[in-house]
Amino acid sequence: MAKVDIRKLNVWFKENHVLKDVTLTIKENAVTAIMGPSGCGKSTLLRAINRMNETIDGCRTTGEIYIDGQNIYDGSIDVYELRRRVGMVFQKPNPLPKSIFENVAFGLKIHKMADGQKLAEFVEKSLKEAALWEEVKDRLNESAFSLSGGQQQRLCIARALAVNPEIILLDEPCSALDPIATQKIETLIRELAEKYTVIIVTHNVQQAARVSDYVAFLYLGKLIEYGPTKRVFENPENELTERYLTGEFG
Amino acid sequence: MAGKISEKVFFAILGVPTIICLAVFLWITSILLSGIGTLRLDLLTTSVLKGGFFEMIVGTAYLLLGATGVAGPIGVFAAIYLTEYARHGRLTRIIDQAINNLAGMPSIIIGLFGYTFFCRQLGLGISLAAGWLTLALMMLPIVIRGTEEAIKMVPNTFKEAALALGASKWETTKSITLPSAAPGIITSVLLGIARVAGETAAILFTACVLVTRGLPKSPFEPVMALAFNLFVKIVALGEPPEKVFGIALILFLLVISFAAVGIALRIYYRRKQPWLR
Repeated sequence: MAKVDIRKLNVWFKENHVLKDVTLTIKENAVTAIMGPSGCGKSTLLRAINRMNETIDGCRTTGEIYIDGQNIYDGSIDVYELRRRVGMVFQKPNPLPKSIFENVAFGLKIHKMADGQKLAEFVEKSLKEAALWEEVKDRLNESAFSLSGGQQQRLCIARALAVNPEIILLDEPCSALDPIATQKIETLIRELAEKYTVIIVTHNVQQAARVSDYVAFLYLGKLIEYGPTKRVFENPENELTERYLTGEFG
Repeated sequence: MAGKISEKVFFAILGVPTIICLAVFLWITSILLSGIGTLRLDLLTTSVLKGGFFEMIVGTAYLLLGATGVAGPIGVFAAIYLTEYARHGRLTRIIDQAINNLAGMPSIIIGLFGYTFFCRQLGLGISLAAGWLTLALMMLPIVIRGTEEAIKMVPNTFKEAALALGASKWETTKSITLPSAAPGIITSVLLGIARVAGETAAILFTACVLVTRGLPKSPFEPVMALAFNLFVKIVALGEPPEKVFGIALILFLLVISFAAVGIALRIYYRRKQPWLR
């Protein structure tokens, strides 16, 4: 079933036309990877889905993105509620300058979703979901910066999960991590897909092959090819995709 | 060989000014320390009418506290607006330039403005309140600039993290940006205080008189201040400088203690918040 329906999306940053007429339908409870060489607009596409692009000066967007049939660029949409429903994990782990507990509790507090005992329960549940609980349960009040890079990234995932989202956006979540931490995150991504719709941006072709069910290939702001990962990797329809997958450019 | 000579020449060129600065500093310190002789601890709490410094010290504190009360909130809010909310364009550039001009404005001109506007136009007269507003004008650019710097040092990734969780701009500013910038903001306020603590020209004709009977009972009464007394005693009363070294020393210690606390706080918080480096 379609969860996110992107139609004729165009994004400009000042004069720079970053995304050109991208149309794409993303399936529910699956992992969709967006891959492409750097500068092709894949992060911009991802950030269009939770309207984070508009926090940058000079950004202009046309087209529509429907989530469960509702256009998120409609004027009546509550952007804060949208960002609760569409969680995001960034390229570089970016814990807040707070304790481990407070990092996960932050979203719950601003959306007034829980307090007191219930807050602690939600925090524990999210940390467990992000496979971090066992490592941090005895040090919840320590600074989030005392964690390793991989742990910080899983904390950021727990933070996004805490507010009960439906969609998780991951923007090259492993690019700052070592192979072992990367593997843990990739396993986690597969688990998350059982409950959430996961969209991951990656410039790493192997990672896209390992974690995704569907893959979109973006080049110079245009969607070149999109389909089930297996099909795209084994039998790419577009010559450009094939050249990218074989490592001819990237 | 030529290399070694030029090395020595440059060493002299660079080293001599440093030595001059050091010597001047030591000289000033020695002058000030000679003021210790005229100071006794009990004079700090003795009324001016009995030869003490009490009203001058408390008056200076009143002036500084009030000016901080005015310039602190206004400066911090202005800086938040300029960095986080205002769209960058011609208007913000004009405001920026205006702040720079205000920072470079000679204090005598600010004093003159304070006199014509606050004292006469607004009818505050020579009063503590007029002094607060005039000194606040001098503190503002320092507080605004310092706060802006502190806010800009907060990594953008923090703000993005909060926004992506669905926090509003104000929630992000309040719960993420400001706590992270707080040390820098406090420092900038303290440096602003240090800047005006020794200020004479700005309070010369807005707030001060030579002698008051006790402390001002309301913000609309004039006040005594260390810097003003120093100035008047030498210029108007023609007292020998040695007689006012005591006042100079108190004032000097006051100013450097504000600056020192500001710098110490900054170092302390930088250590506590390694991500700000």
